Amino acid sequence: MSLATAFKSGDLTLLPSKRDEDWRWTDLRGLIREVPPPSPAFNGETPPGVFDHLAEDFHVLANGGSAQIVADEGELTAVLRFLSANDGTAHAAKVSIEVAAGASLTLLETYEGYGAGYFAQADLTIRLGEGAKLERIVLAGDDAEAISVSQAEVTLAAGSSYAQTVLTDGAKRQRIETRIAHPGAGASVRLDGGYLLRDRRHADLTTAIAHEGVDGTTSQLTKGVVDDQARGVFQGRITVAHGADRTDARMGHHALILSDRAEVDAKPELLIFADDVQCAHGNTVGALDENQLFYAQQRGLPADAARALLTAAFVGEVIDRIEHETARETARAWLNQWLGVGE
Amino acid sequence: MANPRIATQTVEHVERLEAYEHGFVSDIEQEFAPKGLSADTIRFISAKKEEPQWLLDWRLEAFERWQELEEPAWAKVHFPRIDYQDAYYYAAPKTKEGPKSLDEVDPEILAVYAKLGIPLGEQAVLAGVQGAPKYAVDAVFDSVSVVTTFKKELAAVGVIFCSFSEAVREHPELVKKYLGSVVPTSDNYYACLNSAVFSDGSFVYVPPGVRCPMELSTYFRINAAESGQFERTLIIADKAAYVSYLEGCTAPMRDENQLHAAVVELVLLEDAEIKYSTVQNWYPGDPQTGKGGIYNFVTKRADCRGDRSKVSWTQVETGSAITWKYPSCLLRGEGSVGEFYSIAITNGRQQADTGTKMIHLGANTRSRIISKGISAGKSSNTYRGLVSAHPKATGSRNFTQCDSLLIGKDCAAHTVPYIEARNGHSIFEHEATTTRLSEDQLFYAQQRGLSEEEAVQLLVNGFVREVLQELPMEFAVEAQKLVAISLEGSVG
Amino acid sequence: MLSIQNLHASVGDKPIIKGLTLDVPAGEVHAIMGPNGAGKSTLSYVLTGRDGYEVTDGSATLNGEDLLALEPAERAAKGVFLSFQYPLEIPGVPALTFIRAAVNAQRKARGEEEIAAPAFLKTAKAEAARLKIDFDMLKRPLNVGFSGGEKKRMEILQMAMLSPKFLILDETDSGLDIDALKIVSEGVNAMRAPDRGMLVITHYQRLLDYIKPDRVHVLAAGRIVASGGPELALQLEAEGYDKYVTKDAA
Repeated sequence: MSLATAFKSGDLTLLPSKRDEDWRWTDLRGLIREVPPPSPAFNGETPPGVFDHLAEDFHVLANGGSAQIVADEGELTAVLRFLSANDGTAHAAKVSIEVAAGASLTLLETYEGYGAGYFAQADLTIRLGEGAKLERIVLAGDDAEAISVSQAEVTLAAGSSYAQTVLTDGAKRQRIETRIAHPGAGASVRLDGGYLLRDRRHADLTTAIAHEGVDGTTSQLTKGVVDDQARGVFQGRITVAHGADRTDARMGHHALILSDRAEVDAKPELLIFADDVQCAHGNTVGALDENQLFYAQQRGLPADAARALLTAAFVGEVIDRIEHETARETARAWLNQWLGVGE
Repeated sequence: MANPRIATQTVEHVERLEAYEHGFVSDIEQEFAPKGLSADTIRFISAKKEEPQWLLDWRLEAFERWQELEEPAWAKVHFPRIDYQDAYYYAAPKTKEGPKSLDEVDPEILAVYAKLGIPLGEQAVLAGVQGAPKYAVDAVFDSVSVVTTFKKELAAVGVIFCSFSEAVREHPELVKKYLGSVVPTSDNYYACLNSAVFSDGSFVYVPPGVRCPMELSTYFRINAAESGQFERTLIIADKAAYVSYLEGCTAPMRDENQLHAAVVELVLLEDAEIKYSTVQNWYPGDPQTGKGGIYNFVTKRADCRGDRSKVSWTQVETGSAITWKYPSCLLRGEGSVGEFYSIAITNGRQQADTGTKMIHLGANTRSRIISKGISAGKSSNTYRGLVSAHPKATGSRNFTQCDSLLIGKDCAAHTVPYIEARNGHSIFEHEATTTRLSEDQLFYAQQRGLSEEEAVQLLVNGFVREVLQELPMEFAVEAQKLVAISLEGSVG
Repeated sequence: MLSIQNLHASVGDKPIIKGLTLDVPAGEVHAIMGPNGAGKSTLSYVLTGRDGYEVTDGSATLNGEDLLALEPAERAAKGVFLSFQYPLEIPGVPALTFIRAAVNAQRKARGEEEIAAPAFLKTAKAEAARLKIDFDMLKRPLNVGFSGGEKKRMEILQMAMLSPKFLILDETDSGLDIDALKIVSEGVNAMRAPDRGMLVITHYQRLLDYIKPDRVHVLAAGRIVASGGPELALQLEAEGYDKYVTKDAA
């Protein structure tokens, strides 16, 4: 919506800016002076992806394009790769995902930057039928100079179950947004994220969940680590509509700041219009605990190793919640690689 | 703590269950500025108050800026557009000259304060409960401060406590130095309006090393119809000074909404401490129709300029149709401390959007936020808060606990915290919960013989206890009653 | 073994240790007793190299090697083990993972081979059984949600697994009931060896009924003000610390 519309119309004032409440920490307007040229069609060879070997259904969207993923019965594992292959060009991708009643889908999604300073937009529409199940795992590896926006609109039906884990190491400006229409009715949502940012990278994990009916649950956990001059943003909104009783919604966001020039901005919101609810959020931002660091060092771990161990444990909590075993280990490897620790 | 005044009030409260207790209108001769807002209105106010030229200029400049500003729209409150030309900006009890002593004050006004249970006469206070603490009171009736008590005793230790107008006359150097230094004129729409048209308010200066020997308090009363109240409070705690200050607010029941746009500025130098407590009980409007009530758009800010200074805001917000209020702390001094303790109760058709800002600028600064929101009826209650730490504010800490309680199906409770952390040596913790009153606990209390309403009051008092404890003892008792009364009719 | 000469140390700008001299030969257990605020915990942090504890004068060596110049982990690898008064909770890191990481880090620092997983698990199982620790507990994040007694037992388990040369026990009896105290003391006593020294820091004599010291020192206002045999502990228990506190103030 945001990037693509503005580029198509040539009107950069359509881009969200920090004056828009929802984009206060992810200003796009101040960043772009002129409309970038559209990305050319990709005709190179697709490099191997981390999830390729798991794919039963395989989609590569290089420099934009569209795709449709349908799980109509049984269990399906789909791999969805968004590739940005050129320098300084813009493209948009559109994907619709349908999980039929009673069906189950594992969606392994990656964002891969092979070009530099590109402008990428991805729009996903996700629909779950009654009792359907979807686990979505996103690994975002954009270029350091890229501007990348991914927005997913998720609609759930009664008794369905939606689980998501987004892991990213950021970009120049990156927003990964998930909006969920939650009907209650026994449906459950797990919505997790992890951002690991260095240098001058930025990542914005924004979520909005609207509980519209009774008996819905949401469990949300996001962890972040920022170093150097990086900036992590978490915006989480849980809305419980009038009459959406017996909603149980919990949100946690916890971040570590490893440098005095790094920044974390958070806005965990609860908007509650029903009274029979259990809602809570917790938010902590701080450094690694000095006492824990000393304790580990006293037992013989050198300072760097102690820091890596505690950081890995900190983010590991998000990874542990991934249900798909292979994907969980891929995610853990990705974390360890970022931390520079082997296992 | 036994206090016959409170005991009598409680009995009265119980007798008049659902009514807004302070809803009477007093028939007092008033003098008004011409209706509407223009540079001339401002000149009229300034002339009435015989202000120096610099202050008139300051007001006019604020008015110019105000005309360029836009009314904020981000708060979760909804109300019809205010016609700023359809209000009186100055209303004062008619007297030939300002009262020199209590004896010269219009007996009708004194009767109003007596009715509110506010101890104006020093004699009356002294004759109160034995051993009860003394409270120096500044009473503001519509736009004008009518009487300040205990001035002599305070002057003996160098504490200045007077109406704002008097401070402009008697201590212009202090007013000039600090006015607008915490909340600049163009800070926000309502503060800017206040800067242009403020009428009166309280002024406190506590000299270095002095611990103010008694609680200071101001009672604000809006009486006149179609009038706004724009008071301005300025408190300066010099090095190592301490003062505890309390404000209380009431207004009559009227069908029209009345605007209250106050500005409070606190200045703290090294090692100073200010405890600022508010019990706000403006008329909330008709609980069924939502008609009338006060629009309470207030800017309160403390500037901890000195190292190790400490400010503590405590508020019990039960009144007003709309509350828009974020008492804030600029933690500039190294090791300075900011605290915000809040109880906000909305019932009927009330809307509250309130919270705080803790701006950590200095190293090793600490802040603590405890907010308890209770929504009942068809009301809406929002906590909105900002905690930010700048790169230089290393070693800073914040703890925020934000709890909302819902009573009934048709109310709303929102929590909107903003956290902006910009250094790697600070720790911010925020916890929030939203729940309804536990049916199990209610039943348990009822099984032991409490009525449903009593059980609700008991549980709610437990819910807000942590904040009540921060109030000066005697006001805590009063506030507890107020909490109970605000929730009447919310169950059943 | 451990030799401390004229040690001065400050926390922030505040001097806490003010000229402390102490020798603990190999094979001996020394107790340090003293009133609150005497500098007991400070001494343990200074010896283990905690940030913010600044040595302003004097020396501390282990078998002739300067400890004070080393990083905390290097001291640990040299064999200095501190049993914390308040062991830290380490969320997300299972106790076994933590201990194995520590064992291997120390081995690596000493140029030894890493311990293989099966051998490590076997030892851990045996030690856990000896300390009456349910082995499943070792799969949980270290100390998270553990009781005071469980945490102290976990310290002793780590001690056994790391097999240090010199032990510092900081108020190990605090928060322990009598049964836990017995188990913990047995664990400590099992560590006694001719080539190993121990420094037992405690406020109360009670612990010394279970861990019998060879020497007892009184620490007050940053210095050793009295030394003696085990009978000194009993005397302190009977008379209190008043005489040492006032002596210093005079």
